[in-house]
Amino acid sequence: MNQVISFIRQPVVVALVLIVALLYLGQLLSPGFASGGQILRLLIVAALLGIVAAGQNVVILGGREGIDLSVGGIVSLSAIIAGNVMNGADSGILPAIAACLAAGAFFGLLNGLGVTLLRIPPLVMTLGMLGVLQGLLVVIRMGIPSGQAAPALSRFVTQPLVFGLPGIIWLWIAVGLLMAFMLHRTVFGHRIYAIGSNEHAAYMAGVPVRPMRIALFVISGMFAALAGLCLLGYSGSSFANVGEQYTLTSIIAVVFGGTSLAGGKGGYTGTMAGAVLLVILQGILTTVNIDESGRQMVFGATLLLLMTFYGRGRAMRV
Amino acid sequence: MSKLKLSGVSKAYGATLALRRGDLEVMAGEVHVLMGSNGSGKSTLCKIIAGSVRPDAGRILIDDTPATITGPRSARAQGIGIFYQELSLAAHRSVEENICLAALPVRAGLFVDRVSLKERAARYIALFDGVSGEGFAADALVGNLRPDQRQLVEIMKALASEAPLLIFDEPTSALDRAQVERFFEILGNLKRRGRGIIFISHRMDEIKAIGDRVTIIRDGETITTLNLDETDAATVIRLMVGGAGDMPASQSSVPAAVDIAAESALTVRNLSGAGFRDVSFEVGRGEILGFGGLHGQGQSALLRAIFGAGAITSGEIRIGSERFDASSPRDAIRRGLAYVSGDRSRDGVISGRPIIENVSPIHYLRDRLMIASPSRLRDRVLPALQSMHTKFASLFDPISALSGGNQQKVIIARWLIDRPDVLLLDDPTKGIDLSAKADLFTLIRQLAAEGLGILLYSSEDAELLGNANRILVFNGGSVSRELTGAERTRYNLYQAAYEAA
Amino acid sequence: MAEIATGPMSRRVGSIRRLLERYPFLPALGIVAALFLLNGFFSPASLSYRALTGLLSTYMALILLSIAQTYVVYAGDIDLSVGSILSLVNVTIIVLMERWGGGAGAVLLSLALGLLLGLACGLVNGLVVAALRLQAIVATFATSIFFTGLALYILPVAGTPAPTLFWRTYGGRLFGLPFVFYILAVLLVLLFMLARTRLAAQLLAVGDDRQAAYQTGLPVVSVRIRGYLLCGLFAALAAFCITGDTASGDPLVGGKMTLYSVAAVVLGGSALAGGWGTVVGSLLGALTIGLINSLVFFMGTPSEWQNFMQGLAILLVLMAGVLAGRRARP
Repeated sequence: MNQVISFIRQPVVVALVLIVALLYLGQLLSPGFASGGQILRLLIVAALLGIVAAGQNVVILGGREGIDLSVGGIVSLSAIIAGNVMNGADSGILPAIAACLAAGAFFGLLNGLGVTLLRIPPLVMTLGMLGVLQGLLVVIRMGIPSGQAAPALSRFVTQPLVFGLPGIIWLWIAVGLLMAFMLHRTVFGHRIYAIGSNEHAAYMAGVPVRPMRIALFVISGMFAALAGLCLLGYSGSSFANVGEQYTLTSIIAVVFGGTSLAGGKGGYTGTMAGAVLLVILQGILTTVNIDESGRQMVFGATLLLLMTFYGRGRAMRV
Repeated sequence: MSKLKLSGVSKAYGATLALRRGDLEVMAGEVHVLMGSNGSGKSTLCKIIAGSVRPDAGRILIDDTPATITGPRSARAQGIGIFYQELSLAAHRSVEENICLAALPVRAGLFVDRVSLKERAARYIALFDGVSGEGFAADALVGNLRPDQRQLVEIMKALASEAPLLIFDEPTSALDRAQVERFFEILGNLKRRGRGIIFISHRMDEIKAIGDRVTIIRDGETITTLNLDETDAATVIRLMVGGAGDMPASQSSVPAAVDIAAESALTVRNLSGAGFRDVSFEVGRGEILGFGGLHGQGQSALLRAIFGAGAITSGEIRIGSERFDASSPRDAIRRGLAYVSGDRSRDGVISGRPIIENVSPIHYLRDRLMIASPSRLRDRVLPALQSMHTKFASLFDPISALSGGNQQKVIIARWLIDRPDVLLLDDPTKGIDLSAKADLFTLIRQLAAEGLGILLYSSEDAELLGNANRILVFNGGSVSRELTGAERTRYNLYQAAYEAA
Repeated sequence: MAEIATGPMSRRVGSIRRLLERYPFLPALGIVAALFLLNGFFSPASLSYRALTGLLSTYMALILLSIAQTYVVYAGDIDLSVGSILSLVNVTIIVLMERWGGGAGAVLLSLALGLLLGLACGLVNGLVVAALRLQAIVATFATSIFFTGLALYILPVAGTPAPTLFWRTYGGRLFGLPFVFYILAVLLVLLFMLARTRLAAQLLAVGDDRQAAYQTGLPVVSVRIRGYLLCGLFAALAAFCITGDTASGDPLVGGKMTLYSVAAVVLGGSALAGGWGTVVGSLLGALTIGLINSLVFFMGTPSEWQNFMQGLAILLVLMAGVLAGRRARP
């Protein structure tokens, strides 16, 4: 019986149960909501969020108040870079991928250096970096025309590729497998958990704590850049601050996946479920016939309600 | 008159039983000593009385009337004041504010009354005039004070509660002689004024000096209560450790001195750093070199510094014949050093992670692994755990599911997969049970026999006397005496530890 | 010998540190002074009485919002909903003032209700974070969405103007002095008094070490809730100022200000981890952001580069603030 309870209380299970419940609710409120095509559309949106959340996930797992508020800026920047490099031509896709990942890695590196060498709290460092990125977006936008997604990229994101699923879903699955492998089957992954749950003990056991932490921010920047590239494919052309919404929603997806903001606890499978959950919730709210204000109020209140299912803080008296 | 009476109090944290059955009765006007080895449940008992831990069962009587303590505030309101072992100070606040924090004097119901706050704090600060040391001032920030001074602030804070029942959980561990004497004078006065005092300390001499009665706790259970003037230290210690007695020491004869001329494993020359100065010694392959002395005389600081985790200002370290400039534990591990700390939760345990991940980090580093394949790791990890007789259900259970002793075995096992050349043991048996201790020392001797050089700091004399070939006694950060051969007696150890302090 | 050589040196370092300990906002003050000088260098007109009055009335809202944020940061919490509370109060008082005719009585009554609304929002945050023990970052983000929804409900699109009486007073003069100067003076007195309350001391103690504060016997949950109440109150005051400055209602006006308020707190030398900081520092931090923005403008930066320069400059002073703040803390 206890085993059953602890199974049910697992964040992944909570998220999956909620997903099914929400789909059912969505179907009740607006018939056709849980149809295959609609679910696929939601999954594409969830994949974009999920890829950003992968980077956010590793930074948070690494502990020491790890958080990356700059991901939204990197998503936008990457979408713009990609649009301009490929400029509607398929031949530009590979250079665009290289340019985006390099940019994401660069800003992640700056975040990591600030956090480790200067010991700036991650929240402050990445918040400042977000400001810089937003400024940079304005510069780029004024200097060059907005680029277009290559047709192949748009097809990859929106059209079925294999078994009726678009490429981005497969990409997300690949990211999920990669993350699972990295976190659970590599020394690097074990070290992420080690520094997240007891940084000092990890240091005393020879874990290179600072390089690790820098690497986590680089990874986060690169995942955000990858998501930005895909986002361009989704929307066709980039527009200002297209990635802004991802900053905080990626954190929420991670939290809904059962990863503790204190670090060292959680994983990516949950985060994937969390991303789907979040997107379905938003999907329901857009289908039901209420205006924007009501939608936001319900969304905010539901987020709060859902949070109470997940790890609440420790009571003062134990 | 009975100030406080506890009966059948228990507390479990998940699967671990911290307190099985706590009984205690404290009279007005007595200093009641609580004794028990680390992890026996004394602190849990104190925290239950002070309201910061919720008991699972049991009855509490205050002044012979049943009481319910719902939290620290309620405990204060019912006349209980406490000195927390881990201190309860706000590092960025001033000494005076900390002393009065629990009940800040207010004007107009809103504003802190600075004048009366200063007055009230000054009363308690004055109690330690002359012994509180340089830089101790009412407006100094607590975070800028030395450890002993912080401990004094916590004492003042407990005294400022003016509670009829005061609890002191190891209040003297960082204090010097003069400070302890002053504190005992104060306790004596309080006792005469009819306060009930619960006092925890590991120093037998202190207990004799201040205590009236002693209650002994073993493995979370109250064993008995004795009058201190009708008993002696040996009886108390025997009751504390239980039937197993002083097993680790008596189990084997005192090891002979090893001829270190043969081959040196680690050489330290005139090493100075934070917490220790001008230390020189050599430990040979196959030798166990003991570090003795009172707690906090530089032994831990030195071991950490050798391992690359503490500051070194001058001197040199050689591993074998090669010079080693410790810059990080990572370097030290690569050069064949191993370090096991008694402070598991800080230095060792990667909490919440599976046992296998807690055993493998050193292996990852020394074998430069990239992939952590569980099946391949299992073959390396299991023998290491088995050589320590570690009890666990599955390699994938979280380490926090194990008892303290088994957790420590897991931590030690991580050093056994790829053999180090030198093993640094920093009070490794703190808070673990006797059978785990016995396993540990069997292993240590075996490792020495295999040619490792071992440095062993222990806060328990018996462990040093029973295992070390030589003992260096530390005092105030440097070695005050070396005991070899027949000099290794409890008396000599005790005397050397106290002589200059 | 060595000790004699290092003695005076370490004492000197010690006295600087003691100064920083007592006045943690000194680095922020230095930065503000330097920015004033730079502004004056590039454009002497920017230091004119008029320009300074303008700067103050524009940034008074951010100043108050940063102060609001400071009180929760004191206790080791954070409030990502301050901007939404500001928006909500802004649209609420605009709508109420319009509905009640825009007279003096209507304005005052609306402001009183605005304060209550700010307190109510603070209470919601406090309950959710301290009593329900949800993580402050995500929980206040969720409440911010809720508050924004409420603001959109009250005023779906920006535009309703404030009564003339209201914005004329805010932007006008009283006894020959700009009205914002009076606001600043009252604010300073208020901050001075608040700094001496028991609540301020308790908030800092809770932020210093929550467990220790609890074991000491402080009512930790209630102290944290009161921190959020104070935050809601100051966010409402900030809303009054933004309403006076923009003279209209906008349900999204505060959205961008939340993160600036966090930045201002850090710029002011407070520790985000809690237990250490000053509200005066946050005031200076908010001014720093204002001065950087105007400096970038007066330096003649091409318009497309202005945002970038602002972002970069803020990142750099944030780093400087953290590094200086760390030197001051024990």
